[in-house]
Amino acid sequence: MTAYIVRRLLMNLVVLWVVVSVVFVTTNLLPGDFALRQVATNLELQDYSQALREARRILGLDKPLWQRYGEFMGGLLTLDLGRSYETHRSTWAELGERLPSTLELGAMILLFTFLISIPVGIISAIRQNTWLDFLLRGFAIFNVATPAFVIAVLLTLLVLKLDLFRIDVVGRPHFWTDPEAALKLYIIPGLAGGLTSGAGIMRLLRSQMLEVMRNDYVRTAFAKGLREGTVWLRHALKNAMLPVLTVMGFSVAGIVSGQIILENMFNIDGVGRFLYTRLILRDLPPFQGTVVIIAFVVVTVNLLVDIAYAWLDPRIRYAE
Amino acid sequence: MARVDELAAPTLGGQELFRPYGTALRRLWSVARRNKLGALGFVLVLVILLVAALSPVIQRYDENHQFQRPNPEFDPGANPLDIARNPNLGSPFILDRWRAPSWEHWLGTDQYGRDIYARIVVGARLAVIIGFGASLISVLSGTITGLISGYFGGRVDFFLQRVVDGVQAFPPLVLLLLLVSVLEEPNLALTVVALGFLGWAYSTRVMRSVVLSVAASTFVEAARACGAGPLRIMLRHVLPNVLATMVVIFSISIGIYILAEAGLSFLGLGPADQTTWGKMVNTGRNQLDSHPWEALFAGLAITLAVLAFNLAGDALRDELDPRLRGRT
Repeated sequence: MTAYIVRRLLMNLVVLWVVVSVVFVTTNLLPGDFALRQVATNLELQDYSQALREARRILGLDKPLWQRYGEFMGGLLTLDLGRSYETHRSTWAELGERLPSTLELGAMILLFTFLISIPVGIISAIRQNTWLDFLLRGFAIFNVATPAFVIAVLLTLLVLKLDLFRIDVVGRPHFWTDPEAALKLYIIPGLAGGLTSGAGIMRLLRSQMLEVMRNDYVRTAFAKGLREGTVWLRHALKNAMLPVLTVMGFSVAGIVSGQIILENMFNIDGVGRFLYTRLILRDLPPFQGTVVIIAFVVVTVNLLVDIAYAWLDPRIRYAE
Repeated sequence: MARVDELAAPTLGGQELFRPYGTALRRLWSVARRNKLGALGFVLVLVILLVAALSPVIQRYDENHQFQRPNPEFDPGANPLDIARNPNLGSPFILDRWRAPSWEHWLGTDQYGRDIYARIVVGARLAVIIGFGASLISVLSGTITGLISGYFGGRVDFFLQRVVDGVQAFPPLVLLLLLVSVLEEPNLALTVVALGFLGWAYSTRVMRSVVLSVAASTFVEAARACGAGPLRIMLRHVLPNVLATMVVIFSISIGIYILAEAGLSFLGLGPADQTTWGKMVNTGRNQLDSHPWEALFAGLAITLAVLAFNLAGDALRDELDPRLRGRT
């Protein structure tokens, strides 16, 4: 197992190097740069090309690409993710400011994912081929096929038409400053995100439960006279959850990387929105740094999921 | 395991005793009877394809035409001073916008007075082009790299798989945003290629695993023993045996690309000069409280299209390659 983990860690390093290189090369291929934007918005300038050259020199954009790549990689080795061209603050500081909002939204999404998809998956499997099963499966299929932003639009429409509550998209409330306003702000994107990320889990859990329920040990459990609920939850669900765990791992990684669309829709100042605005502004260092961090989280979570897999299912042994 | 319809039909005196499935049409019918949801999906896909193909005929109006109606406030005798105070007095026509569904405008009009039905129909064409185009690109490119990776193995395989890991470590939407930003104004072709590249990693991974199992079979070994080169083995012996998987990946990904493009358009980074459903949801949500029609109908169109392609794709997968169940 240790040898397996070490090998995977080394592989992850190669993967991260690929990510860093891809993000560095593509961001530098984009049309326009931050200096151009800086100069173009300054109407008092007399000599634009001179000013542009000066701005590029200050930002370090006049150096050849390979030299900037080297400096970027060197910075990464010392965990220096560069500074924003716009605010001159370090990427870490900028990210730290955005992380709470993203985590709040992410926690909300995860909560709804669990609360909705797990019961739906279980009930759908237990009541296989009844009207309830068809209803819940239809619900799952609808959520797979509908983008989160459309669900968010529908939910917003519902809240507006029934005049349920007012959504504060300007004040940017947090759960620890104004819990009520925060709940009102995060509940719609949370529910929309939870439904879409949970849709696949509902279907997966249902088919897994059906698969597991055919096993002999489930029949034995019933024959022992155990109560129905005990068999479903203690015997069947525990084993049906394994593949669900992998999918959950993926969604956790996705949640940490921020929800670009939902955050933009509800004016939530999180990581996803940060990435989007940095890319539009061509504020490259924070964009590149954030992508690298997200990639790091993704590969690490994937590794943890694989390890958890072996731990939960003793039959799984990774080749040494 | 051989299926009943793949076995030679038993004969008696040159005459077939029975025909388990018979013609392709009859087989299709029996599959449709078994998998009703899949059949529904195929019917819906057919409808969407027809709408997309016939859009110039059935869209009724030009999707960019801005309808106008007489201005009730128009006053021909108004002097310039009055018009300066109230610009509405000066123009005989105003935009016929935000109309509720009616016989004239089946799904109403949007904020620029354009017919929403016409725009939904044109959007169907875009969705089909994007879904099929991106899917085709991802399957073809994924098959090429999957063949190379699975057949040669070793270092080539290791390096290619790490690149695949790298692409998959990106948040998908971020990578997509990055790719479509390469042009100042993303066009249709760029969107399709970017989406296709996004799917490349996934199809490479699946194709590689299928190629691995095929390449280990004895007939590949036999071909190699006969002196066949790698290219010949890959194209003549391995490729025909992974065709079913290619078809499955192609058909189950179409819905995903339609969804991804809707998200991209929603953020304002879809094909700049086209009418897409995602864009319509985005413009429509600005007047959600008073005029929800545009956002509602465009959202419904996305759901319906993705649903249709997903159901049809799932059915095709269950028929052609049930091993892929759960991998998608």
